[in-house]
Amino acid sequence: MIITTILNIVIGGLIMGGIYAIISMGLSIQYGVARILNVSHGEIIMFGALLTWALQSSGVHPMLALLIGCPAAFIVGFVLHRTIYKRLKDISPTQGAFEGNAMLVSFGIMYVLANIAMMIWGNQQKGYSFMAYAVNFAGTSIPVNRLFVLVIALIVSVLFYLFLTRSRLGKSIRAASQDATAAMMMGVKINRVAAICFGIGAVLAAIAGALISMIYQVNTTIGLGYTVIAIIVVVLGGMGSVPGSMLGGFILGFIGSAVSYKDPSLSMVAYYLIIMVLLLVKPKGLLGR
Amino acid sequence: MTMLEVSNINCFYGNVQVLWDVSLKVEQAEIVALLGANGAGKTTLLNTITGLMRPKSGHVRFMGESLDNIPSHAILERGIAYLPEGGRLFPEMTIRENLEMGAYPMSLWKHRKENMERVFELFPKLKERQKQLACTLSGGEKQMLAMARGLMSNPKCCLFDELSYGLAPIVVTEVFNIVKSLREQGITVLLVEQNVHQTMEIADRAYVLENGRIVLDGQCCDLVNDDYIKKAYLGL
Repeated sequence: MIITTILNIVIGGLIMGGIYAIISMGLSIQYGVARILNVSHGEIIMFGALLTWALQSSGVHPMLALLIGCPAAFIVGFVLHRTIYKRLKDISPTQGAFEGNAMLVSFGIMYVLANIAMMIWGNQQKGYSFMAYAVNFAGTSIPVNRLFVLVIALIVSVLFYLFLTRSRLGKSIRAASQDATAAMMMGVKINRVAAICFGIGAVLAAIAGALISMIYQVNTTIGLGYTVIAIIVVVLGGMGSVPGSMLGGFILGFIGSAVSYKDPSLSMVAYYLIIMVLLLVKPKGLLGR
Repeated sequence: MTMLEVSNINCFYGNVQVLWDVSLKVEQAEIVALLGANGAGKTTLLNTITGLMRPKSGHVRFMGESLDNIPSHAILERGIAYLPEGGRLFPEMTIRENLEMGAYPMSLWKHRKENMERVFELFPKLKERQKQLACTLSGGEKQMLAMARGLMSNPKCCLFDELSYGLAPIVVTEVFNIVKSLREQGITVLLVEQNVHQTMEIADRAYVLENGRIVLDGQCCDLVNDDYIKKAYLGL
């Protein structure tokens, strides 16, 4: 009995952690390179989820929906940076002013996106059944769709990590997040890389949204909650550190899973408690510099 | 042949003029020192040469071609490597990755493996420790890595900003020996320094920048006997 409980918590933690890791890596790369704390991140997650639902209900397989959603999300992120944030950067007198202004603008974008979604889809819960059968493992039954989501989340995390550490573009992204001026001196076109990072962040958000729609009911108001979680994870892992976001995502996932086992409504309380303690004890985050 | 020619540069930060009618010339395979106190405008001049800043008036020419409208990454590809003050390594990247970043522009990226082998010959210690993170290196090793990263673009001309800053005297000698070996390989060096004594020993010529103006220039062997230099910079 106790083993089944632990197993349930671990599996739940892995699944939540995987999703948290993806959304936080997205937020982290956007902040790390473009220096924008993107509050509208959760709205892209929400769009990813509802778009997957909408396509699914017109007969498109959710994974195929992802193939449509990813390029679309990249374009949205890239264009948002090119049209709004880059201009904002050009007219902001200092880096600090830019970071403040950019966050305010992202609040605005959050409301715009949330209301567009509300106009399209209303505010009802949407859900669909996807791989709705279970396998038995060590005396507990695990829904297959959750395992599927976990596998996809792990694959995406590993691919993203390999992209950052192995590819030329990935290395330039890491360099730009560590020292933007030095990266420019090396010949990195910093505005282009920032726009690409913004696009990649949106892609990760859209993937997370699609995965969420496969296991939970979704609606047009879920965005902000995920933004808050992503910010908590990024602070927990260390601002701008992608491995930190991955680690923080899984830690928060496990804690959320354990607390939810007692009472789901307490998970947010637990997250805020963690962040309060962390800011007092280790304000730079677990892997922060 | 004249490698680098700066003519009549005037530079501003906002409304404040920091360089006044600055001109200098660096011949091929020469080590030229740019001396001056803090705030004299030395780094601004290097930033202007590498296209990170643009002058209000005046021109920069490299191997006879104008750099006035060339973006900074293209200036790097033409063969000017810039080593900023303090090295500015990427602390959370390995030695190898830092070196790769030195060959980032596409035309250089293709040759990064050969260039890395060449650079490792000059800095064998870095080869042994190529998987180590840059933030774990000592001050001297960091400066070596910064030089190595600069050389990854296979430059014809190197601009070094305060190479000796914060280094132990014995490490300064080691670093300056490498600068001398670059001259032997035909690489032109413009060396910005505050360590006037040791710089005069390795440089061929020197310019002295004060409050944004070139106040003195000449062969180092003449300058060390100059009364003004002796008094203001050598403390004699």
